Amino acid sequence: MNATMLELYHWEPNGFYLKPLIALEEKGATFTSRWFDPTTFEQTVDGFPSSVESRLTLEREGPLLVADGEVISSTFFMLEYIAESVPGPALMPEAAYDRYRARAWGQFLGLSLGATTSALGCARHLAPELARQDAAALRGKIERIEPLERRSAWLAVVDGTYDEAALTALRQRLSLPIGRLESALAKGPWLAGSAYSIADIDAYALVDPLRDLAPEVVDDERTPHLKDWLGRIAARPAVRAARARSRSGQPEQAFVPGVESARWG
Amino acid sequence: MLRLYHWEPNANSGKPMLALAEKGVPYESHYLDLLKFDQHQAAYLAINPDGTIPAMVHGDLVLTESTPMMEYVDEAFDGPPLKPRSPADRWRMRWWMRFFDAYFGPSLSMIGWSVFVGPAARQRDPEELRAAIDRIPLEARRIAWRKAVFNEFSAEELDESRRRVVWATGILEKHLATHEWIAGSTFSLGDINGFNLGYALPLSQPAVCNDQKTPRIMEWLRRIYERPATRQTWSKGRTPMASRVAMLERSAPAAQ
Repeated sequence: MNATMLELYHWEPNGFYLKPLIALEEKGATFTSRWFDPTTFEQTVDGFPSSVESRLTLEREGPLLVADGEVISSTFFMLEYIAESVPGPALMPEAAYDRYRARAWGQFLGLSLGATTSALGCARHLAPELARQDAAALRGKIERIEPLERRSAWLAVVDGTYDEAALTALRQRLSLPIGRLESALAKGPWLAGSAYSIADIDAYALVDPLRDLAPEVVDDERTPHLKDWLGRIAARPAVRAARARSRSGQPEQAFVPGVESARWG
Repeated sequence: MLRLYHWEPNANSGKPMLALAEKGVPYESHYLDLLKFDQHQAAYLAINPDGTIPAMVHGDLVLTESTPMMEYVDEAFDGPPLKPRSPADRWRMRWWMRFFDAYFGPSLSMIGWSVFVGPAARQRDPEELRAAIDRIPLEARRIAWRKAVFNEFSAEELDESRRRVVWATGILEKHLATHEWIAGSTFSLGDINGFNLGYALPLSQPAVCNDQKTPRIMEWLRRIYERPATRQTWSKGRTPMASRVAMLERSAPAAQ
């Protein structure tokens, strides 16, 4: 019944790349995995799948799902696309209000943690990795990137934008989304109703790296419900299968620039 | 019973207003004056502790995020469907709504707040204003209000917002060259979202958005303006902000 040919362009199973891998595994879908390394910028050269939307996507270097010639970008909406079009277990809640909650989480976390988790991960892992590359060659590759915002996001990783003060400010921004997640999970086992859904997949991929990147915010004592929820998701066979696609053996270190922080403050 | 707490038919408030009108769903309207900080009063904070508008109350259910709220309106009520049938078109609708909400909208509203909301709010006593801003629950909203009210946007910030508005307008014009509506061949929530963002573009950005430079955007805005639901929704406006929509009349003189 899986009539649509699915090709997923992704990197290591972490952050934005992890989300569609989990959803496709949950669906038991047949898909072609197209692994690429965004730190070599192969996603910015001719021949890589591309569309107006994929070039402008606010998540910048995220995964692309090519389905019947359509280039699907922006990971929460990619999860909705998978939930709606791929046969298999339902990943979207049944009730309209629960669906609202899933989408409201997707929007809120996509814009908050989508920016913060990526920036913290880039500062910790990507910056030293890029520092090992030839500086002039790297600059040359970055200078060719369009649009400007996407280029600026890479420049921020190499030009020292993420100093201690910036990182402290980023960590402070975590308390609102993490506080909301913890109190939601104190009330129920999953984020959008009584069943596991794409809201949980989406949030898991953005929160799990924070155990390592911001242990003072996501920690067993302060966020016990979050810890329990992370554990339940990590134990799912689909999540294990998605993680097992790692080539480096250290997917938790794989970060690229994500969503821009809100410009108003 | 359905209650909607909203400001003018404009931006986020106008999204559920227009979606409900398109569906033909009656609702109890609660108008909040954004410039008087009605949305930060205790009575409203009891409904939405974040103090943002709009908010929708459907029985016991409370909804406060305007774009997911529109999808709820489409799914929970009878009436003409406002989402395309194919998953790919629905994906495109959502992609563009995020582009409007998180990229185009904030840049446009930074300019709008600097020229409209800030000066209007500054008519009030500064001390009273400061106290009103201190009561705003969300830090990000407090910062935004302080910047708008006390005119603290830097020249660089405003220049960058103007650059983004020009650029995003060009992207939208190109998109409409190959798509009749935002999602494809059918009118959808994407158009409702985009109209709320862009209905006044020809007036606020006359050098960028006009019949010569962006004929497709102009035609798209006019087609939405001509829908009965749009007329009905914009007639609920109480300020000159909403009446700007009249410039989309086909007989209206072009903006200077």
